[in-house]
Amino acid sequence: MKRDALKSLTNAHAWVGLIISTILFIIFFAGSLSLFREDIISWERDPYFVSSEELETFSIDAVISQVAKDYKVNTHGYFILQMPTAELPSTNIYFEEKIVAEANLPDDLEDHLDEHVEDHIDKHLIISPDGKILGDGNAFEWGNFLYQLHYNLHIPEVGLYFVGVVTLFFFVALLSGVVIHWRKIISKFFQYRKDGKKDKLLDAHNLIGVMGLPFHIMYAFSGLVFNLLIVYQISYAVALYGGDQAKLFKAAGVVDIHLEETNVAIPVQGLDKLLLTAKSSLGEVDIIRMSIDHFGDESASVTFRGDDKSQFSTRKEVTYHIASGRELYLTKNNYDNDIRGGLAVIASLHFGDFAGYSLRILFFVLGIGTCYIILTGNLMWLQKRANLRSEKQNKLGLQLVRAMTTGGFIGTIFATAVGFLCARLLPLELLGRSDVIGQIFFACLAASLIASLLIKAQQQFAAIFLKITALALAMIPVLDWLMLSQGIVVMFNAGHFDVLIVEVMLLSLALCCWLVSSRLFSSAEAVIDEQLINTDELTENSIGKASVIN
Amino acid sequence: MWSRTFAGFLLGLLISVSVVLNLNLLLPIKEDTMLLIGLLCAFPIWAGIQVWAYSFTSAKKAWLKLTMVLTPSALLNLLLLSLR
Repeated sequence: MKRDALKSLTNAHAWVGLIISTILFIIFFAGSLSLFREDIISWERDPYFVSSEELETFSIDAVISQVAKDYKVNTHGYFILQMPTAELPSTNIYFEEKIVAEANLPDDLEDHLDEHVEDHIDKHLIISPDGKILGDGNAFEWGNFLYQLHYNLHIPEVGLYFVGVVTLFFFVALLSGVVIHWRKIISKFFQYRKDGKKDKLLDAHNLIGVMGLPFHIMYAFSGLVFNLLIVYQISYAVALYGGDQAKLFKAAGVVDIHLEETNVAIPVQGLDKLLLTAKSSLGEVDIIRMSIDHFGDESASVTFRGDDKSQFSTRKEVTYHIASGRELYLTKNNYDNDIRGGLAVIASLHFGDFAGYSLRILFFVLGIGTCYIILTGNLMWLQKRANLRSEKQNKLGLQLVRAMTTGGFIGTIFATAVGFLCARLLPLELLGRSDVIGQIFFACLAASLIASLLIKAQQQFAAIFLKITALALAMIPVLDWLMLSQGIVVMFNAGHFDVLIVEVMLLSLALCCWLVSSRLFSSAEAVIDEQLINTDELTENSIGKASVIN
Repeated sequence: MWSRTFAGFLLGLLISVSVVLNLNLLLPIKEDTMLLIGLLCAFPIWAGIQVWAYSFTSAKKAWLKLTMVLTPSALLNLLLLSLR
């Protein structure tokens, strides 16, 4: 490659990396934690709802009849039941509850007085094996909050596509990085010069980048598929199917087994028997999810779904008409469709759900490593700009990038630590508990960014801030045991180790924060660097003042 | 830098759609397999084109070269779609 082209690419790599750095850091950090989403949800919720009852007592029919008795389930909405396991015998049910509110009708329209407007609210119930409602699952959404932060940053409507575009630029940064580093990719594969600060940052950036390259490419690609698939979906639908999206969906293996509602109400019963039929039909599979369409209507159907652990990324699913027990659809091989199968493979790779905890731990380490790549990229840019002569420096830009790096990166970890603390400390009865935790998270992140913009001594601030974050993270397991030791021990006895997994993850993060603080921000050379920069600024200011006086 | 970014982003998207569409129209493979191949190729092409756009020393060159790639591919799209 020509020297000019390489130079252009190097500049673009730094520029693109810098522009997307803070958002990408949040995406990767939240994504790394989201690898343990189910564990985090369980960490937050299950110590309160431990049950010593045996799974043998579980009956879907008993649970359903209890829910139908206590709530007005929306027939037109979703109804999902997460199947219990031997380790976790309580069940989670998600559905829409119908709320009938009187319409605001004009006074003179007496004929319409009986008319009502239907609305609904999302319900999430935790239910014991014998059908008793244990609590409201909506109060335990911290794990889902982090996951949503990962894929759409909690930005309504456009967040998904925004994250997709950032992922695209991450892919561009990856490819340009490979092209730039290509000639040295083998010869300098293990190079890590720990003595020079600039070399140390560059070598860490390259080393983790090259070693984790397959992982990074997989994440960039699969992330794009999840977030920007719509772009190609539209173009395929328009160009290949004449604008008929239904034809495209059919080709893509979407099976429509929708039955028309009859408006004849019948109780939802006979699901235990259908579960046994489903187990014999699907063969070697743990059924993890059951969903019902048209709950309470004569046309209601139930779908049992499970992943076949003996095969890679293979989903099995069967649907029955509840009233007659008639089988409507059965698939044992990802709907016998390459695109459905391909997307399932991409999802499995992205979520790391095909090789147990060892793979997720590896992905977690690589994810946090990516956060370190982003950090070193920004630090190198800052160092390069800080070393420029004062007149070439853009002071505002420099301060902004410093704030993005300290406030944005460390602020994200700090806000997450505070979120975990709130998830453990806030009372369960608090109205809108999960929303409050989310608001506290964003308040912490915003406060960190503002503080970083205002504080001059960024290195010292970063060092102290990281250590405070490390202490906050380390405090969470302590609180767990002080507040909920009894529940956690019952969970351990049942072979349910989610709390322990989350605690180990948080302690590892605390250790990382402490080490980065000590090695990267607290070192004598870092402080000297900053002092040099501050001296430059002082000199420049003095010259400026002197010229004004003269 | 912004102009090269837009060139890569916009023309990269159009080129990726166009090339994948040509693959779909040319290769005699079953429909779902073809859609998957298109999906697997599309994003790397988009990102690759964007990297290429950044490798030019000026935005003008980037717009020009990328348009030169898009034009024949788009013409082939039109031809193949009209022959369908």
